[in-house]
Amino acid sequence: MRDIYKGNLVRLSAMDAEEAGKAFARWSRDSEFRRLLDSGISSLTSSKAAQTWLEKELEEDSIRQYWFSIRKLDDNQLLGDIDLNVYNWSARDAFVGLGIGEREFWGRGYGTDVMRVLLRYAFTEVNLHRVTLTVFEYNPRAIRSYEKAGFRHEGRMRGALNKEGRRWDILVMGILREEWMQQQEGE
Amino acid sequence: MRNLFRGELVRLTAEDPEVSAKIEVHWQRDSEYRRFLDAEPAMVVSEKWLKDWFEKRTEEGFSPSRYVFSARTLAEDKLIGFFSLWVDLVHREAWVGIGIGEREVWGKGYGTDMMKLCLQYAFSELNMHRVSLGLMDYNPRALRSYEKAGFRLEGRTRGDVQRAGRRHDSLWMGILREEWLAMQGGEKV
Repeated sequence: MRDIYKGNLVRLSAMDAEEAGKAFARWSRDSEFRRLLDSGISSLTSSKAAQTWLEKELEEDSIRQYWFSIRKLDDNQLLGDIDLNVYNWSARDAFVGLGIGEREFWGRGYGTDVMRVLLRYAFTEVNLHRVTLTVFEYNPRAIRSYEKAGFRHEGRMRGALNKEGRRWDILVMGILREEWMQQQEGE
Repeated sequence: MRNLFRGELVRLTAEDPEVSAKIEVHWQRDSEYRRFLDAEPAMVVSEKWLKDWFEKRTEEGFSPSRYVFSARTLAEDKLIGFFSLWVDLVHREAWVGIGIGEREVWGKGYGTDMMKLCLQYAFSELNMHRVSLGLMDYNPRALRSYEKAGFRLEGRTRGDVQRAGRRHDSLWMGILREEWLAMQGGEKV
């Protein structure tokens, strides 16, 4: 069996509240990153506050939450985090959230690589039926990356966001087990 | 849709720590009941200890991997027993523990009725692929009841239990989703 944590450019590694707290505080200063990450109000956080928050979050039910940090394969640099949240076990549907905080690695295939690793984990280790995500209309780089990883467009919440003085849609994307299995054929 | 919490003879209710402790303290004095329940040594504990234990379980709150119900008779609303499902979410297998502490209702179909509700919950609400259980060979009444509910005997570990001076086998039973669905006669579940 292959190493399920390893992709071509990155690997999944354990979350370390202290290390990630420092990184989250640094990434929070990049307001563009914050706006791409989620729909909350951008604000600044200290390393200590981020660490305390992470420690609490990491205590959560391990059956529901699979949360990894993302590291570069060549030099181990921490690039971001990715989280699989099985919010509906009876339907075996999970929500994925991905953030690459180190902006010099945006648009270079790191996100696509880690999403492929996470989908393999979701379908072959956690045995899920589908994986869902939402992405914002103003993040075409992420949309392309998710399409490349195999996600399909399933819907849009019109005008759900209000940023920079105008309304934007939230896009809903998903991938089914069968679709992912088909993709793997010949690999 | 069917009522998940109501059978022919019993209904399922939420476990109440105080009520459960009060009745469990009586049930546990019945050493035969205790020996049917599992292979641990029969032991008696105080009502306070039991109440703390049930309360702790309640405080842990909802977990997608454990489901516990009390069972009451439909006729008299009498608390007679419980069942628990421990769920392996990744492989979609659930293990059942079931017990009827009120021995005057043993052998009258209450356990079978409870197990049918348990399987209905496991397959049509939790979407399990299989349900498993274990029992001891000195409990033939339970074995017949589980067979009636649809379980098949899948194996035995020979002589792994010592009770009352002799060796007994543990029996392992299971039911698959397809088998359970076939038993529902095409009815919507």
